[in-house]
Amino acid sequence: MLVVRDLRVTFSRDGKSGVRAVDGVSFELARGGALGVIGETGAGKTTLARALLGLHPPECVQGSVRLDGRELAGLSEEEWRAVRWRRIALVVQSVGTALDPVYRVGEQIGEPMRFHLGLSPAEAWARAEELARRVGLEPRHLCAYPHQLSGGEKQRALLAMALGCNPEVLVLDEPTSGQDMLSRVRLLDLLADLRRERGTALLVVSHDLGAVARLTEEVAVLYAGKLVEVGPTEAVFGDPRHPYTWGLLHSYPDMDTARDLRSIRGLPPDPAHPPAGCRFHPRCTQAVEKCRHEEPPLVEVAGRQVACHLGGLQTLLRAESLRKVFFVDNGGPRSPLEAVRGVSLEIREGEVVALVGETGSGKTTLGRMLVGLLSPDGGRVVLEGRDLTAAQGEKWRWLSRRVQLIPQDPFDAVSPRMTVDQVVREPLDIQKVGAPPEREEKVRQVLKAVGLPTDPVFLSLHAHELSGGQLQRVVIARALVLEPKLLIADEPVAMLDPSEQARVMNLLKEIQVERGLAMLLISHDLALVRKVADRILVMHQGRIVEEGPGSRVVTRPIHEHTRALLESAPRIGVFTAEDAEETEF
Amino acid sequence: MNRVFQGFVGRVFSYLFSLWVILTLNFLLPRLMPGDPLAALLDPASSDYVFDPEVRAALEAYYGLDRPLLEQYARYLVGIFTGDLGRSIRLSRPVGELVASRLPWTLLLVGTALLLSSALALVAGTEAGWRRGSRTDRALVAVHLLLANVPVYLTGMLFIHLFGARLGWLPMAGGRTPFARYETLLAAALDIGRHLVLPALTLTLGMLGVKFLLVRNTMVTVLGEDFMLVARAKGLPEGRLKWGHGLRNAVLPFVAHLAAHAGMAITGAVFIETLFNYPGMGRLIFESVTARDYPVIQGVFLVVSAVVLTANLAADLLNARLDPRVLEG
Repeated sequence: MLVVRDLRVTFSRDGKSGVRAVDGVSFELARGGALGVIGETGAGKTTLARALLGLHPPECVQGSVRLDGRELAGLSEEEWRAVRWRRIALVVQSVGTALDPVYRVGEQIGEPMRFHLGLSPAEAWARAEELARRVGLEPRHLCAYPHQLSGGEKQRALLAMALGCNPEVLVLDEPTSGQDMLSRVRLLDLLADLRRERGTALLVVSHDLGAVARLTEEVAVLYAGKLVEVGPTEAVFGDPRHPYTWGLLHSYPDMDTARDLRSIRGLPPDPAHPPAGCRFHPRCTQAVEKCRHEEPPLVEVAGRQVACHLGGLQTLLRAESLRKVFFVDNGGPRSPLEAVRGVSLEIREGEVVALVGETGSGKTTLGRMLVGLLSPDGGRVVLEGRDLTAAQGEKWRWLSRRVQLIPQDPFDAVSPRMTVDQVVREPLDIQKVGAPPEREEKVRQVLKAVGLPTDPVFLSLHAHELSGGQLQRVVIARALVLEPKLLIADEPVAMLDPSEQARVMNLLKEIQVERGLAMLLISHDLALVRKVADRILVMHQGRIVEEGPGSRVVTRPIHEHTRALLESAPRIGVFTAEDAEETEF
Repeated sequence: MNRVFQGFVGRVFSYLFSLWVILTLNFLLPRLMPGDPLAALLDPASSDYVFDPEVRAALEAYYGLDRPLLEQYARYLVGIFTGDLGRSIRLSRPVGELVASRLPWTLLLVGTALLLSSALALVAGTEAGWRRGSRTDRALVAVHLLLANVPVYLTGMLFIHLFGARLGWLPMAGGRTPFARYETLLAAALDIGRHLVLPALTLTLGMLGVKFLLVRNTMVTVLGEDFMLVARAKGLPEGRLKWGHGLRNAVLPFVAHLAAHAGMAITGAVFIETLFNYPGMGRLIFESVTARDYPVIQGVFLVVSAVVLTANLAADLLNARLDPRVLEG
């Protein structure tokens, strides 16, 4: 019914260079359908919503907006008047200031009906009362002036106003912003009901992903004025394919998220000077040369459209049924010990995966196979599409530049004879990266990145002269110096005291986001990893017994071993439900 | 509604209080001066000596300085409410009578100019604001900036010269033709109207510039408000947007401005009444000041204060009618 093609909205600043707030957006909205448009603040969502009612100066808008086949773009103000509110109505974002302060709320709800449907003031008031009742307002609210209503009541009044002429399309700009959780839920229920009753098509523009998920079947992701992913809401939210969508979904707090907020690195671009090529490339963890120059078109990927040269979010590392058997020599005949029994896993670009299990579950062995320090007895490891099983020579060198291990015990990992400078620089020397001055510069950079001093005195210290936290940071710096894509951190904080643990964990998380790394975090401490992990794998006796989003695994564990791990997680002064039962007499 | 009513009563009371303060000041000020207010007037050696014994007696009786202060105060208040404002030294007539004969002329002049300038400012200001940045808007702003900065006596003299002396279309001075006897009421109205045109026009132009700029600028601000965007999105006709929502909100600061400038409007008439020899309060002020006719100056001050206060209260109540947020503030 509503077909938008290549819509562009350009605002000129002082009549000079244009700011393209919406750039080549196309979508369709079926009769009675519901489409969500999501994106960060400044992505062009509100501009898009207003363009659908012709509220921008005509010279700013290019492209086509068709309603039932009739072209709306380029209509005169007079012609737009007949479309506005009768066919497409809008609930604006700024609820507090959207009502005229000098008229009664009821008059304002009735106003469009008087002008569009030719109702008398009394008839319009009667209709306004009906609508108000439908959205949960009372007649006394209609007699009030806007300043006498609460934010939620105003929101409802605006909704009633928008429904007055029974429009075919209802555009909702941030319908839930500024509302408390309870009224938000009620509003969403109301909107869903109204849509069912009246068959009104909804266009929900919001950064409230929960609201969009609740109200829509289709979703379009807007980044810096361009659509980067369009598809069924369930598919896009359940399995995001564009790196931006993935980052956005992982930044969104929901009730289940135990993990601290993950933000996408960097900031949205200045709309006056968007980057060339794919607009997301400066923040993208998987950007390649092509992304810098060429704008990616929307192409069909996995049942939705994605604008990405790489076809969407990449799998960085894939392990397929890895096995490892050790032969233990305990005096008698050597008995086989199956440390890893057929483990498959995937790590995507920019993702933090936690591998959790108790000591002896095989997680360290698995980690060492993934970095190529151990060769598996079965299965294979694929990194960025290259099979690395038993990598040697050139391939091995490439592998160690892409994947780095942060070992369990820093004292074990660092030679006592080497200085800080030597420890961090060694990988560069081995890989023969750059000339010596460049290497020195790199060493300084990574040391700064992990929060360590770079003065000559510190650089000449030996391992035993450093504190545990400092040494762990040196080891992290060493892992970062080759700019890997994937960090495999094996109990990176196990040897540190609790406050230093938190600090190093935050540092790792920060480095991971800022440098766009993926990370496999191997740990026995579920309480700790849930703070940073997007996904958690639980390993038990050489197998992965449970796998899922961090929030789900922590709040609703399925496997009994996971539950056991959760129960053994340290708690300080927090009464759990069982504690409460025990203390009640 | 209760809160609104309380706000209304509160406002009326605060105005009554202001009126009382003014009345009391008017009573106290002459009495606080060194000596007493009559010393100069009753001293034959002074340049201000009142020669007419009848007037001297009346003054002494009016001020009654030999009585206790409180009694003086009571007599003063009673006098005011019965229209006794003292006696003019220069004209030897009761001040009340003088004021009563002059006030209607000023009200006619200022009222006409206020109405005209307000109507013009509202229409032109709304249109200019609606078309902000256009050529019409810029031309209107330029003209009104000029008007706001030209002194009224300059425009007045220009008008007298052009329409009175050069073209002879309109009388140059006075409120009516001297010694004329009118056959009908219409004839009287026509004569008074013809005399009113030039002074009223001069005063209108004098007031117009500031009013226009106020309406136009408020209008521009209002048009940028979210509720205007919503009103546009509702598909309302242009007239409804411009007048029903735009001006309807832009008029609020304008009404407040009217109240604040009611006093200015009356005293601003001093120039024009003097220039056009118009028989209003302004000229009375001018004449009394020149002649040091203190009782008249005080009486006029009192009446003007009362008029300004009333105008303020009226504008306040009008604003409260127009803006539902005011009385609940």
